[in-house]
Amino acid sequence: MATRFELVLLGEDEVRLRAAGEEALREISSLERRLSYYSDASELTRVNHGAALEPIRLAPDLFALLGEAERFVKKTNGAFDPVIGPLMRCWGFVEETGSVPDQARLAAARAISGFHHVDLDDKSMCVRFDREGVEIDLGGVAKGYALDEAARIVREHGIKSALLHGGTSTVVGIGNSYSGAPWRIGIQDGDTVLGTIELRDCALSVSAPSGKYFTYGERTYSHILDPRTGRPASEAAVSAVVSRTATKCDALSTAALVLGAKASQFHDAKTGIGVWAKADPYTVLFLEGLPAFDRNLN
Amino acid sequence: MPKRQDLINRRDFLKTSSLGTLASVLQGEMILIEPESKESRPVITEAVNCALIGYGLWGREISATLSRLEEANLLAVCDNYPVMLQRAQRSLPNISTHTDYREILDRRDIPAIFIATPTHLHKQIAVDALQAGKHVYCEAPLAASVDDARQIATAARDHEGQIFQGGLLYRTEPQYRSVYGFILSGALGKAVMARAQWHARESWYRTSPNRDRTEALNWRLDPEISPGLVGEIGIQQYDTAIWIFGSLPRAVSGFGGVYYWEGRDVADTVQTVMEFPTGERMIYDATIVSSFDAMYDTFYGSDSTIILRDGKAWMFKEVDAPMLGWEVYARKDKFYKETGIALLANATKLDALGQSATDDDPDAETPLFHALKAFLDNYFFGPYEPVMDYQKSFDATVVALKANEAVVSNTRIEFQPDWFEL
Repeated sequence: MATRFELVLLGEDEVRLRAAGEEALREISSLERRLSYYSDASELTRVNHGAALEPIRLAPDLFALLGEAERFVKKTNGAFDPVIGPLMRCWGFVEETGSVPDQARLAAARAISGFHHVDLDDKSMCVRFDREGVEIDLGGVAKGYALDEAARIVREHGIKSALLHGGTSTVVGIGNSYSGAPWRIGIQDGDTVLGTIELRDCALSVSAPSGKYFTYGERTYSHILDPRTGRPASEAAVSAVVSRTATKCDALSTAALVLGAKASQFHDAKTGIGVWAKADPYTVLFLEGLPAFDRNLN
Repeated sequence: MPKRQDLINRRDFLKTSSLGTLASVLQGEMILIEPESKESRPVITEAVNCALIGYGLWGREISATLSRLEEANLLAVCDNYPVMLQRAQRSLPNISTHTDYREILDRRDIPAIFIATPTHLHKQIAVDALQAGKHVYCEAPLAASVDDARQIATAARDHEGQIFQGGLLYRTEPQYRSVYGFILSGALGKAVMARAQWHARESWYRTSPNRDRTEALNWRLDPEISPGLVGEIGIQQYDTAIWIFGSLPRAVSGFGGVYYWEGRDVADTVQTVMEFPTGERMIYDATIVSSFDAMYDTFYGSDSTIILRDGKAWMFKEVDAPMLGWEVYARKDKFYKETGIALLANATKLDALGQSATDDDPDAETPLFHALKAFLDNYFFGPYEPVMDYQKSFDATVVALKANEAVVSNTRIEFQPDWFEL
């Protein structure tokens, strides 16, 4: 995650609000320590380090999160896939060196990427990789998952109105804002506000290739990789997903960036999933399903 | 698939293997030597059924840690707050949940109990659990009063065939154990003092939508039942000093106050000075106002100073200290203007992995993991006297509770030998 989380909690009793916020932030910090791909001491790193040698027993919540990630892989036909550690390395995004790999390196990284190399055993709660070099990077869902857990704690403390965000790209709105209306969130692309979305008891995740990238020659390469090709995603400039859970938003907004127009398959009126993606220049591809999206700003 | 010869149960393993119970006696301390590598580790074919009583913050840590230990099978969780039981059910869908711990004690399929309730509630549960024939892991401090702690320790003593382990974490932590042996070998020269701290930024206030529940949750802020910062936190580092210096302290002076978190009576910042019989003093401070420099333990001697922090340790030698030989080849790390020689419990393994001494070790586990594993190993390989047995747990509890008294009354207290008797 390695990002800044902020909570806005509304209520009368400051001491009580602070205590609730502390517990929620403590949970986020704990998840950061456990799920980080970049920390050598995290539970996830222990998995990446050892799951090719022997089955690694996981805490139930991490096991469940991996199970959920696997379902997202299936739902998106691989447009979202957290088993991309080798691909992230070969493009230089892990060491932040940024380099375009040759075909052989890319092929080698692709050969050890993808969730099909991961076996989750429900009975023993163990994870195992089918070959060495496989690595899970939960960067596509960890932030949303941490926000969901934090939001649950905030709700358990009886707080009816709150806004939680991680890195300003994933947001959870609980109840209404201080104005009595839903939380109103703007979606920006650079300095341009593309639109606003109102959130009440749901989450929003926005993905953009411009978040982290490097330039080589004339081209810019984004850290959002298409797991199916191993190359940076190029189908959309911005994607936004609204859903009940931030975990789902995170996974699907990443996939929407990869899929572009095909992301319409995620529209689901029943589950409240809305997807919006933008291709250059400012072509709104999907609007249906998003709650109170303000189109006038486009 | 594991080979058939690897599928042995743990008690058989004890009888047939030379790896599991290699032990040496070093000045009265038993050091268990663990199997060295994953490759040589047998596949566990059984697990002990466990229950957890208390699903608060620390209870959830215990639960998460147990779930990663293949020796443990957490079957039941007890808490008197339904929200906590909902959390438990969400994290562990197959467990049974209870609001009355006695329901768990009645279950014959659960031999091991972990107690992580508020400190002042430990006594009845621990005593009842021991009387019900359970093996008990009880969080530290054992209790909020010396009398309650004595009742727990006495019950543990009187149930000889059952394991009782207090939740003091560092005597079973590999890095601390390694440094302990190192200090015993004379690495400090003449030990002169110790300094330890625990710093964090948090209010210690807990909340819930329910007023009664909020009151119950904030037992740490109730001076009638709270062991204070030194009782709840400092006890861990006091116990390390008691272990390293090899004796109980003879006196403690305490200071403290509410400097920042207004509207409470329990100090948010404390200092204590612990005096040991051979003259060394341990200076300790804890605060929930400033998080600067977090937690560490430092032992000062005439030849060197050793600091333990974040699961690592370094030695800083005096210029006129005798050469130990190996330090020429050891890894050295800069700390401002000082150079520390890294002391690594698993240096060979790290070198083999090509890692730096200052990198985090992906195979490193938390102190809690090692403490729980020691308890479970005792179940399978023992029963033998736990590293953190009832007497040591009681001793540390008495020291910490008296230190809190010293903080509250801003005074010096001399420990009386009969306080530590059962």
